[in-house]
Amino acid sequence: MSLLRLSEIHTFIEQFHILEGVSLEVPEGDIVALLGRNGAGKTTTLKTILGLTPARSGSVVFDGEDITTRRSFDIAALGIGYVPEHRAIFADLSVEENLRIAERQKGDFAAKEDLVFGLFPDLKRLIRLPGTNLSGGQQQMLAVARALVADNRLLLIDEPSEGLAPVIIEQMMEAIRQLSSQSTVLLVEQNFIVASRLAQHYVIVEEGRSVKLGSMADLVNDDETIRRYLGAA
Amino acid sequence: MTTETKSPETPSRSRQAEWLIENRSRMTVLAVLIFLFLAAMAGLERDDWFATIMQGLSVGALTFLVASGLSLIFGLMDVLNLAHGEIFMLGAYAGWTVYTRFDTAVDAGVPLLLVIAPFALLPLWRRLANRIRELGVNWHAVLWFTALGVAYLAWVLLFAVGSSSEAGEAAATGGASGPVIFIVTAVFAVGGWALYRKWRTFDGSQDSIDSAMKLNAWSFLIVGAGATVTAITKFPLVIWNAEDFARSPSNFSVQIDLGTLIPLPADSFAWPALIAFAVLLLGGALIALGLSSLRSHTGESTQVNWKHWAGFGGMVFAAIVLYLGKGSLNDWIFGLSTTWRFFLAILIATAIGAAVGAFIEVVLIRPLYDRPIYQLMITLGVGFILIELVREVWGRPEFTMARPAAFNGTGEGCPGEGIGGFFSGCSTVEVFGGRLRVYNEGFVVLMGLLVLVGVTLLLKRTRIGMVIRAGVQDPDMVEALGINVRRVFTLVFAMGSGLAALGGVLAAPSIGLSTGMGAVFLLGAIVALAIGGLTSFPGAAAGAVLVGLIQQIIIRFGQTGISVPFVTEPFKPSPTVVPAASILLMVVILLVLPSGLFGRGER
Repeated sequence: MSLLRLSEIHTFIEQFHILEGVSLEVPEGDIVALLGRNGAGKTTTLKTILGLTPARSGSVVFDGEDITTRRSFDIAALGIGYVPEHRAIFADLSVEENLRIAERQKGDFAAKEDLVFGLFPDLKRLIRLPGTNLSGGQQQMLAVARALVADNRLLLIDEPSEGLAPVIIEQMMEAIRQLSSQSTVLLVEQNFIVASRLAQHYVIVEEGRSVKLGSMADLVNDDETIRRYLGAA
Repeated sequence: MTTETKSPETPSRSRQAEWLIENRSRMTVLAVLIFLFLAAMAGLERDDWFATIMQGLSVGALTFLVASGLSLIFGLMDVLNLAHGEIFMLGAYAGWTVYTRFDTAVDAGVPLLLVIAPFALLPLWRRLANRIRELGVNWHAVLWFTALGVAYLAWVLLFAVGSSSEAGEAAATGGASGPVIFIVTAVFAVGGWALYRKWRTFDGSQDSIDSAMKLNAWSFLIVGAGATVTAITKFPLVIWNAEDFARSPSNFSVQIDLGTLIPLPADSFAWPALIAFAVLLLGGALIALGLSSLRSHTGESTQVNWKHWAGFGGMVFAAIVLYLGKGSLNDWIFGLSTTWRFFLAILIATAIGAAVGAFIEVVLIRPLYDRPIYQLMITLGVGFILIELVREVWGRPEFTMARPAAFNGTGEGCPGEGIGGFFSGCSTVEVFGGRLRVYNEGFVVLMGLLVLVGVTLLLKRTRIGMVIRAGVQDPDMVEALGINVRRVFTLVFAMGSGLAALGGVLAAPSIGLSTGMGAVFLLGAIVALAIGGLTSFPGAAAGAVLVGLIQQIIIRFGQTGISVPFVTEPFKPSPTVVPAASILLMVVILLVLPSGLFGRGER
């Protein structure tokens, strides 16, 4: 059964019609990649799920509950973690505070400390540094780690490989693969190679519409679709 | 982001060295400022120098209390609260009332508590609002027409009938004459017809339910406001005698300061107490229900737990106790020393400021986060309304407030000597040869420091402080972590307003009360914010101190004169350039550091 289901989502940002009918399903326990060109509406889809840019019509159902019109904090508290496009690390907070702020209950961080530092050992020695003193890769790790502190059943991860060195991308992929054993992941990824190696399913968004979805194994061999919707891969 | 290019593994140059390089322009400015101050001070005697610095710190502390809240609110919500100065003013007037006329404060407290009490049960009203949403349109229409009828009836009772019974006055003031009655009745009739159309065109769609709910909400608000206003006037309220004041304002003011003004006998209840209590509670409940109905509450808590009932019961109980025991309470309070009364005034004024701030945020600012320019305009408007409210309620614009006893001693052993002299109970103290007022230069500065330390600890050491610091940068991300940012907004707005009100009540004994005091300190606070870097809390403190210092130095030079080369007469700046001086300081600092002393640059 699917953990998350979007049906015919239409989202406006101010007067602009950004999403013109996005439907997708995320099966529990899997990694689903949301693919598409720049400006196709991938990030807005994630923000709509979280209620940051609420849908004007259509429905978002998480774990059998309709969350379309709920407030963001309320949606997140149901167990959805968010790793935004530009990481959104809090500059005024130390690395530790950046993690602690994600606690929904006292003790969340203590309970997840081993998991977080097991995935990202680097963060442990940076713990006292201010959030901005990190490199891009470290910030990305911190952003993912922050989404892990609370008990999240679904992680929305936006462009985890963006602007990172190949070595760090490998590390990040390994981390995502490991954490997907604990929660479901909806992944936005421009880098098709990264996406194809991580995800079991894909959804292609084109000009605000979900145009194609299916199993990643099929897509990898479908050069025609890749060329048409994703450009040269 | 600049951090993308920064090499992660090599913090090779020591952190200190990097910090020095990053902050070099900042430190240059500070060094120049310090040099300028020292140079300027060289023209003064040492005792003068010290006294002037302390006076500057005192004004700086008051400015800081306004600037700190302004900076927190602006940082977190991007709202420049132009009513902040007026909340400062309101704090002063509320504190003055508690201090000099506690009986009035007690009398006003009873109806106030009763109106606020139903708000403790907000989840209940939300649930009720959701229930009403599900009712059929015919029930909605009943609500609307009831509200319309009540509003019309109230208008008839209050204006049309009221003035015709005093026909002479009505004619003189141009009260409800025939044409006016006709026009108002016509307006109500048109309103009724519009409601009828609305009722008929209702089609059960989501949009039509939403707009019907809006009308329901306004129906509740109108009836609730009507009930509240009517019932409040039925409560006994000791007010100072306006006629006495008209006869001799100065006499009146002296009597108030000495506490010898004979209060009017308390008006008795115009209604039986129980009915007045009940109607007021009902009014408050209807207003709360109306506000809850304005928007839908999917996903917000509608569970009423014992805490809500305890809050509600506590407030009603407090109102009853206050009402029954006010005689002995008044006697006891007036028996206390003025020092204790002053601390009571500080507490109550701060609480009132916080409550007003929370109310402004929830009712006026919150619906407008999508339209920042309206928020700005609404805070400006609220400022004017508060000024007029103070004029209306307090009757005249200016008061003085006696310093509490602990800071007002004279005679034997006064003035005090040295630092210990601050605790001698004298009104003045001599330190380093300069004469300081214990209240202004001692207590006010101390309170400013306490707030600085307290708020800094709150920001750095508590979870809520962490959320505030994160929210200043990216409220959406904080919300996406599962934190109710709007609640934090309300809290910060209340806290900032409380600090401004605290500033007001602290300022009252030293500079007196006037309806213009808010604007003066708001200007100082905005300049302080610009100097300090808009959203930086330490920046607000540094900016406020600089503003206070430069103002006092200019004032001092206006008295002593500065010797300028090639001019025989010393130059004496006139007092009118004092505000200009702080703005000039701001201009100079912003020219060198466009984002202020502690600003983070472009965000």
